[in-house]
Amino acid sequence: MLVAHVRGHRIRAEELDEYARGSWLVRLDARAKLVGVLVFVVATALLTETRLVLASLALSVAFAAMSQVPPRHLAKAYLGALPFILVASASVFLFAGAERGVDMWARTSSCVLALLVLASGTETFDLFSGLRRLHVPAIMTTLLMLTYKFVLVMADEMARMTVARRARGFGGGRSLLDRRGLRLLSYTAGMVFVRSSDRADRTYEALKARGFDKEMRPMRATRVGALDGVFIAWFATSSALLLVMQLGVAG
Amino acid sequence: MKTVEVSGLSYSYEDGTVALKDVSISVEDGEKVAVVGPNGAGKSTLLHLLAGFRMPFTGTVAVAGVRLDEGTGDQVRRNIGLLFQDPDDQIFMPTVEEDVAFGPVNLGMDDVQGRVERALRSVGIEHLAKRRPHRLSYGMKKRVAIAGVLAMDPRVLLLDEPTSGLDPRSRAELVTVLRGIKRTMVIATHDLDAAAEVVDRAVVLNTSVAWQGSMAELVSAKDVLEGAGLEPPQTAKLFRRMAGMGYDVQTVPVTMDQAAAEFAAVIEREAGRRRDGPKGTGGGR
Repeated sequence: MLVAHVRGHRIRAEELDEYARGSWLVRLDARAKLVGVLVFVVATALLTETRLVLASLALSVAFAAMSQVPPRHLAKAYLGALPFILVASASVFLFAGAERGVDMWARTSSCVLALLVLASGTETFDLFSGLRRLHVPAIMTTLLMLTYKFVLVMADEMARMTVARRARGFGGGRSLLDRRGLRLLSYTAGMVFVRSSDRADRTYEALKARGFDKEMRPMRATRVGALDGVFIAWFATSSALLLVMQLGVAG
Repeated sequence: MKTVEVSGLSYSYEDGTVALKDVSISVEDGEKVAVVGPNGAGKSTLLHLLAGFRMPFTGTVAVAGVRLDEGTGDQVRRNIGLLFQDPDDQIFMPTVEEDVAFGPVNLGMDDVQGRVERALRSVGIEHLAKRRPHRLSYGMKKRVAIAGVLAMDPRVLLLDEPTSGLDPRSRAELVTVLRGIKRTMVIATHDLDAAAEVVDRAVVLNTSVAWQGSMAELVSAKDVLEGAGLEPPQTAKLFRRMAGMGYDVQTVPVTMDQAAAEFAAVIEREAGRRRDGPKGTGGGR
């Protein structure tokens, strides 16, 4: 379930990264994708003019459409993030008016959509490896990778225990009044943590047994090519244009 | 030359349960040894301890001449390839080849690509190099895990229940793979059929060492097998049954090759007895 929230919707753990396979985006160097998308996200966060915020959202939608990531997957992932976006937008709407509220929705949606396309169009390990090669401290990237692995471990345990529970006729816990059901669910959560902890220990020992020294290293180092340059240039130019127009409006 | 030397080893879990008591074992360079025993006998604990993952302990442990203590764990592990019982604990990277390369890359070894290719070839899965490990069958995952260990070129392989959870065909294929690996090997298992096909010697462990000897001797030691809750190999059971029926069984085979040879010899002896006369044709049949 936690994995599902990471990616914004419910999918089986083994299906993660599958969207990265079919997209041209996956062939780009992870560093180029990270730099391009993060520049765009920072620029979008600085926009205040409604027209420009909507233009940024349109660029994000165009990026999503060109990415070859299945729209259905992106829509589901976006729906997972929507409650958070709506809470932020609603609070701005109530205190600063409708226009600001729409700006907030469009701005956060634009950023979230671009980041979802980045995450869906890049294998997770490549993403963390790219961050490391952009000189993000090793302790952070390694923690991200281990967290990712252990989230999958927990998701597997949870899935197994859910099947075991259902196989023995359990269908409760759907109502807050079902105290027995809720008690059983709390036992399940406890067991998931205990089992995951044991498994996480074994996984860490397996890493240590193969020379792991707190830093994940990829087998091959990729290079930034011409297509990566085009990708960065496209985002950098779009972001610069939006910011220049914003400054023009403000001036 | 002894590659693994364990002397007077004792270890207790945090809750005080004694896992190993006064264990002494040595393994010669290139020798394949099975550590057999029932569930909870301490087999896995012994392997994890040899790899420096269980501290503190009393007694001495040395692998490839390096004595294990709090400060030498990494050094000892450089000489060890540990295969975990569940390959999902071990496989970490997004593709098979990247996972196999994980150890060599971490250890800064040269010719990583070559090592990966050789390791994959040695376990017969070179065609799976680009595949995602979590999509593979359990048997194939085991092979990926073994390749990941072999790519590090360790002096000693420690294999924890390598045949557990495998279907008969995968198990037979894995046994063939393990037979083909020319390296010092310690296999923790209760699968005597598989162990007999691979190892030279067996150590019966039940918290402490209950018995040591060849597989053939172990199969003949009924009281040891019963005491350790072990089942003899199917071939041994068959030939014991044949001996009980009056056939002239002279050795109890433990491997398929030995069984085939002994079976041919029994047929020949039976034919000879029939030629020589009606006496002694085995009244129990």
